[in-house]
Amino acid sequence: MSLTFECGDKNALVAYLYEECEPELRDVISGHLTRCDACSNEIDGLGWTRRRLEVWTPPMPELGFQMPVPVQDARLPWWRAPMPAWAQAVAALLIFGVGLSVGLARGPAPAPQVSSNPPAASAEPAPTNGPTRTDLAQLEERLKSEIAQMRSATPVRQVVPASDEDVMKKVEALLAQSEERQRREFTLRTVEMARDFETQRRIDMASVREAVGQFQGVTGTEIRQQREAIDRINSLIRVGQQGR
Amino acid sequence: MTRTDEELVARSQSGDVDSFNQLIVRWERPIYALAYRVLGREEDARDVCQDTFLRAYRALPGFKGQAKFSSWLYRIALNLCRDWIRRQQRAPVSQIPEDVDPAELLAEREPTESIEDLVARRELSAIVAEAMKSLSDEQRTAIILKEYHGMTFQEIADMQGCPLSTVKTRLYQGLSQLRRQLERRGHGMPELVKRT
Repeated sequence: MSLTFECGDKNALVAYLYEECEPELRDVISGHLTRCDACSNEIDGLGWTRRRLEVWTPPMPELGFQMPVPVQDARLPWWRAPMPAWAQAVAALLIFGVGLSVGLARGPAPAPQVSSNPPAASAEPAPTNGPTRTDLAQLEERLKSEIAQMRSATPVRQVVPASDEDVMKKVEALLAQSEERQRREFTLRTVEMARDFETQRRIDMASVREAVGQFQGVTGTEIRQQREAIDRINSLIRVGQQGR
Repeated sequence: MTRTDEELVARSQSGDVDSFNQLIVRWERPIYALAYRVLGREEDARDVCQDTFLRAYRALPGFKGQAKFSSWLYRIALNLCRDWIRRQQRAPVSQIPEDVDPAELLAEREPTESIEDLVARRELSAIVAEAMKSLSDEQRTAIILKEYHGMTFQEIADMQGCPLSTVKTRLYQGLSQLRRQLERRGHGMPELVKRT
């Protein structure tokens, strides 16, 4: 950039105004402005206009546009991912099966010992070493209820196969919708303009007809009055001639 | 940790849509403001803003980072605005609300600003918007990019595809024209401020 400044050099003044000139040139222009009223007025005027521009703020609505996120991007590590329902059922059956096999391996529950003493009036079952069928049934029930709780607590997300291609398809669809919306709006505006034009044309035509009608009416009245005046004059002349 | 645009772009290019959504959150307001000032209508600006990001996402694989991501985005938005104006075949129209809701006014008011000042500011804002319509598209765009988006002369020249000197001329002529328009509307520079 040249470090010389010619009085009234608009490009240099703009560069000075926006502080986008070399520091040396800036010093040169600053010095010039102290001596030149025309240039300093120019800079003041441009600066004033810039300050007026500061008030022009657009309304800022809620925008919040977001791209659709494909499911694969929301994938969690395998150890944190919610277990699918079928896997939960398999796990439950596995646990149940293991429990059952352990129970069977230990053999049937020992028969209650016969005692010479009369049995105490107690409904308590005799203690056993392994789990009974009742225990296993309770375990099954508990597992089922826990699985049901897990299902309700961690809703399993519906896995929809989605890929970049799907996202691009969605983007294309959104773009197509947007273009269609713009086209519709344009058509609507064109129709509105045509309708406004037609309405205005009809109003204008009606005004013209009315004006012409009034003019014709006025003209007709004048002619009629003139004719009547002529008739009166003629009749006066006739009366006068008859009187002679 | 805040990621840079470049990092988010790289992640978006490898298929991370969340990163692209972060870029949208970061840039949607400036892009909307640009579109609004160029087009002058809120709903048009909103549509252009959305289209800008959709097109940017579609073209992302081709973005090699020669320019800043924001400059690339601005260019897409400006092209869309240009197409929009061409398609609508109309001059930009500023949307000036006819009736003013007092509650809305109060909400918009700066803490230290009186209602009278706010009304005056809105009035001046509308006058500036009107005055901007008197500029050519190139002058208006150059002023918008410079004043409201802080671009350098070189960035505007790249954006508008013209020499640097042309940008300066557009800015100078645009500001001078605006000054005259504001004076004509009774908002000129007070004599006291002018140097004699």
